[in-house]
Parts: sequence; structure tokens; C-alpha cells
Amino acid sequence: MKPENAIEVHNITKKFKVYLDKGHTLKERTLFSKRRKFENREVLKGVSFEVKKGEAIGLIGHNGCGKSTTLKMLTKIMYPDSGTIEMNGRVSSLIELGAGFHPDMSGRENIYINASIFGLTKKEIEERIDSIIEFSELEDFIDNPVRTYSSGMYMRLAFAVAINVDADILLIDEILAVGDVAFQAKCFNRLRQIKSEGTTIVIVSHSLGQLELICDRSIWIHEGVIKEEGAPFDVHPKYMSFMANNTLSKAKDKQEKKKEESKAVEEKAEEAKTEEAADNTEENKKPEDSNRWGSNEIVMSSVTVTDEKGEERDTFLNTEPIHVHIGYENPGKIENSVVGVAIYRDDKVHIYGTNTLIDMSKTLPLKDKGTITLVFDRIPVNAGDYIFDLAFHKPDGFNYDFWRDVFRLKINNVKGEAGTVSIEHSWKSDTD
Amino acid sequence: MIKRIKEIYAYRTMIYSLVKRDLKGRYKGSVLGFLWTFINPLFQLLIYTFVFSIVLHSDVKDYYMFLFVALIPWIFFSTSLAGGSTCITSQKNMVQKIYFPREVLPISFVTSQFVNMLLSFIVIFAVMIIARYTFNPLALLCLIPVMLTEYILALGFTFILSAVTVYFQDMQFIMGILTMAWQFLSPIMYSQERVPVEFRAIYMYVNPMAPIIIAYRDILYYGRVPELATLLSALLMGILLFVIGWITFDKMQKHFVEEM
Repeated sequence: MKPENAIEVHNITKKFKVYLDKGHTLKERTLFSKRRKFENREVLKGVSFEVKKGEAIGLIGHNGCGKSTTLKMLTKIMYPDSGTIEMNGRVSSLIELGAGFHPDMSGRENIYINASIFGLTKKEIEERIDSIIEFSELEDFIDNPVRTYSSGMYMRLAFAVAINVDADILLIDEILAVGDVAFQAKCFNRLRQIKSEGTTIVIVSHSLGQLELICDRSIWIHEGVIKEEGAPFDVHPKYMSFMANNTLSKAKDKQEKKKEESKAVEEKAEEAKTEEAADNTEENKKPEDSNRWGSNEIVMSSVTVTDEKGEERDTFLNTEPIHVHIGYENPGKIENSVVGVAIYRDDKVHIYGTNTLIDMSKTLPLKDKGTITLVFDRIPVNAGDYIFDLAFHKPDGFNYDFWRDVFRLKINNVKGEAGTVSIEHSWKSDTD
Repeated sequence: MIKRIKEIYAYRTMIYSLVKRDLKGRYKGSVLGFLWTFINPLFQLLIYTFVFSIVLHSDVKDYYMFLFVALIPWIFFSTSLAGGSTCITSQKNMVQKIYFPREVLPISFVTSQFVNMLLSFIVIFAVMIIARYTFNPLALLCLIPVMLTEYILALGFTFILSAVTVYFQDMQFIMGILTMAWQFLSPIMYSQERVPVEFRAIYMYVNPMAPIIIAYRDILYYGRVPELATLLSALLMGILLFVIGWITFDKMQKHFVEEM
């Protein structure tokens, strides 16, 4: 094992027996031997990767692709059929929250039980208990039985224990959606702090946004092999566009099936329909590249960036207003949509992101064809090149058209400030 | 194996917490709470006294005591087996999601039953004092190795049974029947001297619980030091089963999660 690595995974494979109808009892096993038919499903077909000390990686992929199985093997609750996993350091997993909680026991007692399941000794728990209680924000309730807690309080306590188990390697599975928004932010900040302290982190999540905020690298597992690996900023668009294509082709399959059924009934009308459908699919394919994905029910047709006078430009001062004109077509006749924007620096640091839902808690009404103008009074960043993403999507995150790297702007600074952003400020001395 | 033992030792707090949770949690919410731990054996004793000393008139002197000193250790053993067989499957959620040495679960379960037995012994001693039994200090000292032997034996069995139950869930129900048969085949309700001489050797050496029960009765009921041979054979069988149990468990535990 290389000394700079925290995790080395070499060519691991895993097969599961998938029983069509599993018999667990003697009767079932002897009488219905036919029921015990099973298929061998290969979940992992040779996955290898390395994780450096202090690195945070995200495992992404659709359901059943093998990412959770990989995590389970890192956790050592499952073992690979072949291949090896080497890990260096104390491993802790945030896969199950609140394990071993007893509802009739107090929050404090449950901290002891839960933390001990993570492998902490009594002394270690005593060292941490104050920070656990503080993190959970349950100081006033900590000696009440856990059954009196609301589900939010319960999860907060559970998360507080899990996040305070110091480890060299932290494995996390889809659990960051805990509690209210404020607590989520707190968890996330804590996670970032843990990372900055040098802990190696592996996260499995469907929330690509969260991964982008914390991971240095994403590994996309597809059907048991690694399909793509690299910076989240580069891998995620490919993944999203792949997934969008997949759902699209599935929907198309369905459509075709339906068509076949109706074929027998009305043959003539069929011809026209097919032509129409063919037109549609061609049109749909146009904007699809790895930087762009969505259902194409709404399509951005033109995006121009101008100053307040309407003059097109690609270089601005960080004090100048910037107008973004987003021309769209609306073949899906969608009435309302969320419109969002994200700004990255060219080294892929996420600078800012917002949408109409966040800003005004509403969607924008749309026509069949039109223009939406987004006005920045100024973009108060320091000098550099900036990348802009734009998106039309449903409030639940379903994308009509997500376009990464739509345009880039060079933003200059009038003064020679240092740092990422330009903060409004003034100086005052009491001699004045 | 040494590594494994070290790891289990590192998880000692988990064992302690689980035992504590089990003992404290069991009667939480009930009015009498922890007192139930004593009330249960006490009432059992009263019932046995009524049935065997008043209704049935057993010719054994203080039959209730004769039975009770054997029954309490037996209850520890049989609950460990019957309940212990599900100690992995009942914690499915935890086993599927969190890593810890799987041995922790059977160890915690058997230990919590063991502590329960120790508490019941308080009742035994209290009754012995009230009934003016003489305490033989040397014999009482022998109680420690006897208890430990029984603990090791119970743990060995629980290792095997809890692992097998994951793969084959009938085991828990089969154990319910087996422990009942086993109870009648052990010298609990009767003295081993009642067993015909020609069977006695088999009776004593095939059933690892026979020498243990006899030792308990020697110490508590007769107030005498048990025979060394009895103790030794019990200890050997205990260690043997413990080792076999652990090896079996270790072999099977790798696929627990997939089988659940």
C-alpha cells in the first residue's frame, strides 16, 4: 500500500444470489425446492480505485449500480468475492443513524449506547459527550427519554453522535438530509471541518450538488464497473446527461409500444404520427452534449450577455451591472418553470448559485417562446474568469434544460484586492 | 485469532452498553421496574413449594430448594440458547448497516442472561438464610468456576445457534422444543441417582449440562464441594464447545448480511 493512500481497492468483484422466492424455513426448503431457484447477479465486476489521505470522494450512479455495495465492503459488513481492499486508519461509517437507540432511555444514555456501537470506549465517549450534546442542540432535553423526542430531534441526536466519532476514514451513505435547513447546513459545515482536519471521506449520494460542495473527486459506477472518474464538475454533467438520455429513451420505448398497440386500430393516422414523432426526436437530440441535459420540454435557444445599454460584452468590471438575456422555446407547453443560475470560477470553485424559487419562492410564467432577463447589479468577485450555468427545472429538481458552461466572462477588478470576493467596506479612524 | 480477541476487547464498551440496555430496558415503564428481576424467581419458588411440598409431597427433603438451585442455572442456559439463537437476526438493522465484531451480539446476550442469573442468586441466598441452610465457604468458592464453566458453555452454543439461525430460521423454533427435551434429560427435577446405572455414564458425559447442574446442587443444596472429576469434565466440554462454536461463528459471519 502506498503511504500517501488511505484506501486502496483492487479489482473487487461481488455476486449476489437473487432468490426468486427465498425459503428460510425447513418446510419451504424441503417442500418447495423449485422455489429456491436463484440467479447470480454480478453487482461489481472488477472495481479498483485509490483514495489519498485527506481526500473526499463521491460515489455516484443509478440505483443498483453497486455504489452502496462498494461502500458496504469498505465498511467491512460485506466481503468481496475476489479482489482486495486495504485501508489505513480508523474507519467510521455514517450509514445507519441512531443504531441501538432505546426509546425508554434518556438521550444521554442513548449517546453512550450509540457511540459504543461505533467502537468508542467509555473514556472516549466521556471526552466527547459535551460536544455531542452541544452539536445536537438538545441540552434541555438530554435527560428525557428519547421516545418523547420529535423525529427531527431524534435524528439530530443520532447525527451528532455519528459526526463526533473521530475517524481517519469516514464513510457516508445518503444521510445528509437530516433535520431542518439550518441543521443541514451545520452538518455540512462540520463535515467540511472534518475534511479540513485531514479525514478521508467517501460519500454515496444522489445529491450531486452536495457532492460538488465537498468532494474532490467523483467516481461514477455503472453496472458494476467504473465508467468515469474525475473532478465532480466534469463527471457530473456527463452522468446527468447520460441519465437524461436513459429516461428519454425509456419514455420513447413506451411511446413506441403504445403506438404499436394503436397501430391495428388506425393505420392512417399512424403515419402522420410517426413522422411527427421522428421530427420531435431529431429536435430533441440537438442540444444534447455532455454539458447539457434535460427533458427538452423547454430549450434555451439563445443566451446573450450585455451591459445596461444592451451592448454585448464578455469582459466586465466587478462594479458594473451585467444583463443576461435567456431566449427560450417551449415545445412542451410548460406554463411555469424555476429558472436557476450558478457561477463558478474557472478553477471550478463554486462561487454562487440561486434560482427563482430561492429568490422569490416562485416559478416564472412562460410563453411558447420568449426571453427572460437576469440582471446582476454587480458581480462582486475578484478578478478572474467565471463560468455560468443556467437551468430551467421543476421545483423538485427535474430538469427541462440544464446547461453547464453556457458562457464565460472575464471579470476585472478596479482595485488590487486579494481573495475570492470583493466585499463592500469602509474604513474609519477616530482621529477624523 | 489474537487480532480478533483484541478487536472484541476494543468493543468492550459496546458489550457493556448492550447488557446495560437489556437489563435496564427490560422493565422500563413498568411500575415495579427492576424489582421484577427478583419477583419472578421468588414467585416461581412459591409455586414449586406449593406444588411439590404441599400437593405432591415429594420424599426429597426441601424439594423446592432441591429444584430451585438447579432450575435457576438451567433457566440461564436455556434462555441463552432459545433467545440467543435470534440475537443476530433480531438486530438485523444494525448488522446490515454498521461494522462491529459480530461476536459482540452473542456475548452481550449471554452476559445479560448471566447477570440476570446472578441477581436471581440473591433470592436463592436469601431463602437459604431464612431456611437456615449452612453455608460451606469452600463449597461456595467453587461456585465461581462452576458459573464460569456454564457461561463458556452457553456462549459456545449461542455462537453456533445464532449463526445457524441467520441461514436457517427454523433453528429458533427447533431450539424451543430441544431445550424442553433437554430440561427433562438433565438432573433438574430429579437426582442423577434415579437414572439406571447402565445409562448413567452416557447420561453424565454426553450431556454437558449434567455435571454442571450436579455441581450447583452439591454446592448449594448439599453444602459440599463438588467432585473434582465432575467439575473437570464440565470444564473440558465447555471449552471444547466454546472453541467449536467460535470457529463456526467466525466462518459463517462473513455472509450474514447477504443472507438476511
